Amino acid sequence: MIERRFHKELYAPAAVQGAVDAFARFAQIELSDEGDYRVVRVSARRPERERKVAQELGNFAFGLSRKEGLA
Amino acid sequence: MGTQTLEGFPSDIVVTDPAEGSVTVTVDAAVYPLEAVYGAAYIFIDRCYVLLDRPKAGAYAVTLTEKSGAGDAASRRAMAGELINELLTQAWRQKIIEENRVVIETVTAQALAGSMAEPSLDDLASFDFSEDSFDDPLGIAMSWEEKYRKKTPTEASGAEASTEAKP
Repeated sequence: MIERRFHKELYAPAAVQGAVDAFARFAQIELSDEGDYRVVRVSARRPERERKVAQELGNFAFGLSRKEGLA
Repeated sequence: MGTQTLEGFPSDIVVTDPAEGSVTVTVDAAVYPLEAVYGAAYIFIDRCYVLLDRPKAGAYAVTLTEKSGAGDAASRRAMAGELINELLTQAWRQKIIEENRVVIETVTAQALAGSMAEPSLDDLASFDFSEDSFDDPLGIAMSWEEKYRKKTPTEASGAEASTEAKP
């Protein structure tokens, strides 16, 4: 399982949710709220897949945050 | 293997994780506004995995991981250097935008207002056609002949006298 922590001041909540929705079909993804962060936990059968999905999900959330003009 | 310092960079600003093939740059939020951090990090999104964080109050951290796999220390150093340069570029751009915001908005508003419609008869009736309000200290509106014609002896002596009077 790989964990990615997205700070709420840097990533729009809707962007993180959008990224989770987009990648939900590639791995098991859990989203939780922990203080200043929205935490995404990615699980897959193969570690390489977990890593790849988590990294791509991070870029996707970043792109959506910037598109929505959070910062 | 954990994080390591990167040769040529301060250890409190740039660290690298060779196993992950990543480099993390931490910058002062007072120096680099969030827009600059966003803009600089976005440049790398096509070749790196980007992760932003706030490791502590008043600081932003950008972690770049090469998509092509774990590169060597030289490539990570080049990546960090490029990110830091881009941060400076974006911060400077933000500063210029802030300083010129009023000018840009004024010019844009005037351009839009001017293109709205032709002036009405009432607008023309109230328009000031006198030349009193026209100020041209640099002589931009003067014709070439008027500006560079040979001065008469009276005008030339007058110009010299005014030049000498100046400190």
